[in-house]
Amino acid sequence: MSAQLSRRDLLRFSAIGLGAAAIAGVAAGCAPVAGGGGAAAPSKTPAGPTDFSFASWGMSEDATKAALGPTISSFAKKDGITIDTPSYPFNDYLGQLTLQVRGGQFSGAAQLDVAWLASLAALGKLTDLGSYAKGRGYTPAALNAGQFDGVQYGLPWTIAAIGLITNTELFEKAGVSNTPATIDEYEDALKALKGLGVIPYAASTKTAQLKDFIVWAQTFGSPIVEDGKCTIGDAASVDAVTWYKKLYDQGLITADVDRGAARTLFSQGKTAIYDDAPAGRAGVLKNSSDPELGSKMAPIARPVLKKGDTPQELLWGHLVVVVDGKGAGTASDFAQWLTSDPAQEISYFSALGLPPTTEEALAASAVQANPFVNSFTELVTKDAKASALWQFPQYAQMENAVAEQVQAVLIGASSPKDAMKTAGEQITRLIG
Amino acid sequence: MTGILTAKSASIDPTTVDPTPTRAAVAADPRRSDRRRGRPRWAIWLTLLVVGAFAFLPVYWLVVTSLTPNADVFAFPPRLFPTTITFEHYADVLANPAILGFLGNSIWVSAITAVLSVVVSMYMGYAFSKFRFRGRASLMYFVLSSQMFPQALLLVTLYVVFAQFGLLNTYQALVISFTTFTLPLCVWMLKGFFDALPDELIEAAKIDGAGHWRTLHSVILPLAAPGLVAAGLFAFVRGWNDFIFALTLAGPEKQTLPPGLVNTYIGEASTAWPELMAASLITSIPVCIAFIALQRFLVGGITAGAVKG
Repeated sequence: MSAQLSRRDLLRFSAIGLGAAAIAGVAAGCAPVAGGGGAAAPSKTPAGPTDFSFASWGMSEDATKAALGPTISSFAKKDGITIDTPSYPFNDYLGQLTLQVRGGQFSGAAQLDVAWLASLAALGKLTDLGSYAKGRGYTPAALNAGQFDGVQYGLPWTIAAIGLITNTELFEKAGVSNTPATIDEYEDALKALKGLGVIPYAASTKTAQLKDFIVWAQTFGSPIVEDGKCTIGDAASVDAVTWYKKLYDQGLITADVDRGAARTLFSQGKTAIYDDAPAGRAGVLKNSSDPELGSKMAPIARPVLKKGDTPQELLWGHLVVVVDGKGAGTASDFAQWLTSDPAQEISYFSALGLPPTTEEALAASAVQANPFVNSFTELVTKDAKASALWQFPQYAQMENAVAEQVQAVLIGASSPKDAMKTAGEQITRLIG
Repeated sequence: MTGILTAKSASIDPTTVDPTPTRAAVAADPRRSDRRRGRPRWAIWLTLLVVGAFAFLPVYWLVVTSLTPNADVFAFPPRLFPTTITFEHYADVLANPAILGFLGNSIWVSAITAVLSVVVSMYMGYAFSKFRFRGRASLMYFVLSSQMFPQALLLVTLYVVFAQFGLLNTYQALVISFTTFTLPLCVWMLKGFFDALPDELIEAAKIDGAGHWRTLHSVILPLAAPGLVAAGLFAFVRGWNDFIFALTLAGPEKQTLPPGLVNTYIGEASTAWPELMAASLITSIPVCIAFIALQRFLVGGITAGAVKG
């Protein structure tokens, strides 16, 4: 090609390209939404109720949206305000909310998983809701779930645990007690259930959910974190992973199981036990061809190493936090009302089966009449504790480090001792 | 035998005819050709069958799942042919106005992205192909190198920039971010296309008195139409399929289909697979129609520039 581009030509073509970009950008156009200020604001609003945002994943899921939408509308109507409801998928929620808060684009109330509190509190923009928590009748355990570094950053909305859920019919068929109390009894029960041709225990074996192993390590006596130091790699954690591998080798647990697969297996009657929170029950029943499955589902306390030990249960639940800034005061009022107004709590429970967090609501007849939730509260939630790793903002990487090493043991790529030592070292590095 | 030309009737002694086929005849006979190369036809068919199964089984499964009642979706062993068919999931999807909103957003944003990408890359590709200027090669590779950055890194940067300019939660944010990804490949695609067009065309236009502008728009672009369509389709599909940028930058009102569907059907404790499959099938129809309508341009555009001369 012999054409030579002059500076004038180059400028001309560049200008055309940029002009086209500008025109198309304008053509794309709805009015831009101004970014939020992100500046600190007082928690109280002496001037009266103001508009605010309520971020959630609940407003994007059909079942919760149907229950939550009218609730939010009624609060907004009562105060004559507007509540924006940005929503993100559960799996992407924390990342999106963190980006919004860190970028100063979000203020107001936000739904939060109990595991995420430390990560979000570390951004330094959450409001202390201690004064809003007083005198509302929250249970001590629920209030504790919303605290980080002694500050009440979150008001508890629904609090339960991730516990063992059994199919009582399969237990009966196998001729075993539905209450194996110790690890040894549990193992015997699994062996009996295997005789039915089902997967006895749909324990997590995929890396994505192998963090479930941590509660078994605690059952064997490992504190996971003690005095700010990681204890994984101790004899108890090695014993726990050795036991897990034994179950795997004996076919008492199976490969490629995560929470979704476990729910599917349980809904199809292909497994007798799996780990879940009460929130998973509705999905399991929806996908089951057995209309009686609901009455066969029963939670059991996690077996202990020796009689007299306290069962180890992992806390699960949702909080409402308030990010300081525009509308934070009214958002705090909303958070308090949403999580502790008795009528509101019972209505939310009736719609979704998610356990409330105040003494009054827990004692209500609607809650007491639900045998599954009552059993779950009595057998599992009462012993539930937050994961020892949740106090660290890097908890997800830490759980992943454990999961990868347990996976390595299951597939025979590492010995229990080496794997736990490696996991412990990785977590220690993350603690810093 | 009447009407049939035989060796005898043509006074040709069959015993004198060499039975060995000519090299051209062998080449023309695919069965012989395959055998000589050690590839029996059944192997080719088997390969095609396996590849076809990989390509179409997921689509088939998507259709089957969307027609299966909830209680049968996870039946074990899985059923290749559903025993009960239901259209309730399609009805649910079509009754959900949010899905149609996501669809509209996707069409709008992807179309603007495609137009913007084609227009800008058309001028850039032409400049890179037909002009010689200092730093040309370096600039070309610099443009391409922008493809090497991880999306997550660009996402945070774009988020901060858009926040500063008040562009978050707007269509403009999506279009600009999608275009940053599509432009480099569109430029290279079109450069290859322009390279294949003979320079004599430009020289002839010059002799006739046409400037760069006239030459490009009256002579080059009509010939480059297949390339432009191919680049446009590429950009459209890139915008259509994006998840993370749309989720982060669009806000709830401007969200496109990928984050919209995930937001609607994938929950904390369960996933509405049949509805998700039905929605995916319904919303893929516009793209399928666009591909069918433009596929002849697409094939021509992609192969353009492969052989220069």
